[in-house]
Amino acid sequence: MAAPGSCALWSYCGRGWSRAMRGCQLLGLRSSWPGDLLSARLLSQEKRAAETHFGFETVSEEEKGGKVYQVFESVAKKYDVMNDMMSLGIHRVWKDLLLWKMHPLPGTQLLDVAGGTGDIAFRFLNYVQSQHQRKQKRQLRAQQNLSWEEIAKEYQNEEDSLGGSRVVVCDINKEMLKVGKQKALAQGYRAGLAWVLGDAEELPFDDDKFDIYTIAFGIRNVTHIDQEAHRVLKPGGRFLCLEFSQVNNPLISRLYDLYSFQVIPVLGEVIAGDWKSYQYLVESIRRFPSQEEFKDMIEDAGFHKVTYESLTSGIVAIHSGFKL
Amino acid sequence: MATLLRPVLRRLCGLPGLQRPAAEMPLRARSDGAGPLYSHHLPTSPLQKGLLAAGSAAMALYNPYRHDMVAVLGETTGHRTLKVLRDQMRRDPEGAQILQERPRISTSTLDLGKLQSLPEGSLGREYLRFLDVNGHCFPYGMADTRAPTRFVDDEELAYVIQRYREVHDMLHTLLGMPTNILGEIVVKWFEAVQTGLPMCILGAFFGPIRLGAQSLQVLVSELIPWAVQNGRRAPCVLNLYYERRWEQSLRALREELGITAPPMHVQGLA
Repeated sequence: MAAPGSCALWSYCGRGWSRAMRGCQLLGLRSSWPGDLLSARLLSQEKRAAETHFGFETVSEEEKGGKVYQVFESVAKKYDVMNDMMSLGIHRVWKDLLLWKMHPLPGTQLLDVAGGTGDIAFRFLNYVQSQHQRKQKRQLRAQQNLSWEEIAKEYQNEEDSLGGSRVVVCDINKEMLKVGKQKALAQGYRAGLAWVLGDAEELPFDDDKFDIYTIAFGIRNVTHIDQEAHRVLKPGGRFLCLEFSQVNNPLISRLYDLYSFQVIPVLGEVIAGDWKSYQYLVESIRRFPSQEEFKDMIEDAGFHKVTYESLTSGIVAIHSGFKL
Repeated sequence: MATLLRPVLRRLCGLPGLQRPAAEMPLRARSDGAGPLYSHHLPTSPLQKGLLAAGSAAMALYNPYRHDMVAVLGETTGHRTLKVLRDQMRRDPEGAQILQERPRISTSTLDLGKLQSLPEGSLGREYLRFLDVNGHCFPYGMADTRAPTRFVDDEELAYVIQRYREVHDMLHTLLGMPTNILGEIVVKWFEAVQTGLPMCILGAFFGPIRLGAQSLQVLVSELIPWAVQNGRRAPCVLNLYYERRWEQSLRALREELGITAPPMHVQGLA
């Protein structure tokens, strides 16, 4: 899979990265924003070396971070292609539905964790931009009998086409962020977007900073993120999680299992040259708790009004909670 | 504040009262119920093998630089043929020795210094010269012997196909074929006749698809008949213990196998 040398530095992901941070605050963090969001945080003490799962293997928490890093390093370039192939393009609909549910208002500060290649961030920017444009049109329509010069001036005065909305994409994996940045460049997203290399379990942001925290298809790859999610959200902020979940229909469940275990690793091998990463993917999906269980866990973490919505018979689910 | 996943992790890590009993948990695909038979082995079901064979064939045609796909195709389609090859190796004394001792040709096992010191015209010296002039031959040359066999469900057969890959460069030396596409196709034809591996046969027929008309003409009229003739005449090349024959003169070895000189110098073509 990935060459061991390149991820030696990151082999302790999570814990070790925090250690490396000590004394060298902004190492590896890239953000186009002023320093107020990147505080010099006192780093936490060592966490217990507990056991967790990596697909169907049992590994220590330290190991899991490193292994997950390797998986995403090796799949980064083909990540989007594989997503399209594996889900037959349905993942785009799921992500669109997440945005629909989010219904961000202008001026929203979004933090997209494990956002790697930027799918959620770009959709957010599109949504907010089109919303803003619609608002502008409404305003202009309300003002009758404007001359062309006045209308043109109205548009020219508009400096911020996003209405104050910003999105920060945070991912622990350099390769995924690289791919995301390239996509942003290719698709022309510049304003309102920031890319930060950071660990979801120790976010490099101050408390109470964001209106919405999303994590799309990332939460099963990390171990403990609830405290951080709760911390960085403003009071009234929303936690949204899009993740694979348990299928509620037995027939579809059988077909889904067959497809997952027989076809997906083959697709991974043929398209990305990587069987093992996709084996990990389907196994990690099976290990993830059901919709109800996950809802309980979010409630345990201190969020209120937790709800979930299953999509495509429960193949994925969107969980939502509020920090009150 | 309880952490998000800890309750579930405690539950999933072996304690009773699992929401989904372990028996129901779908396991990694197992063929004939066994786990991995050798290191790097990935057990696959027949459906997966079929999908892999089809997918790798398509991908190899679509993107000829995906040499790993050619390897996968060979592994998933070659089971029956590999058995035949293995049995035939067992019947031959030298072949049986190879099966027993399992020699490997790789940068770690080859003593390049010693090969350098051998006299001109010897197999070892000529092999080294071939590597220097042509570079390693993807995907079967030394650069890629790191790519181990994964989809063959028998440990001895996995070795046979690995040996076949490692011997590929030798065949180039024996036949005097360079590593350009024309040379590769000629060697593929020779291998197809010799081994009968489906991957070689497919490669032999589909390889020329990307050739220009002139090369194609030369290929069909002269090179392929020559390769086929030699392939049929020569005993199975997998039975040769090359590691013991470094000092043997290349010409003598060619005579022993009945390999004649190529009809023309292929270097400048394709």
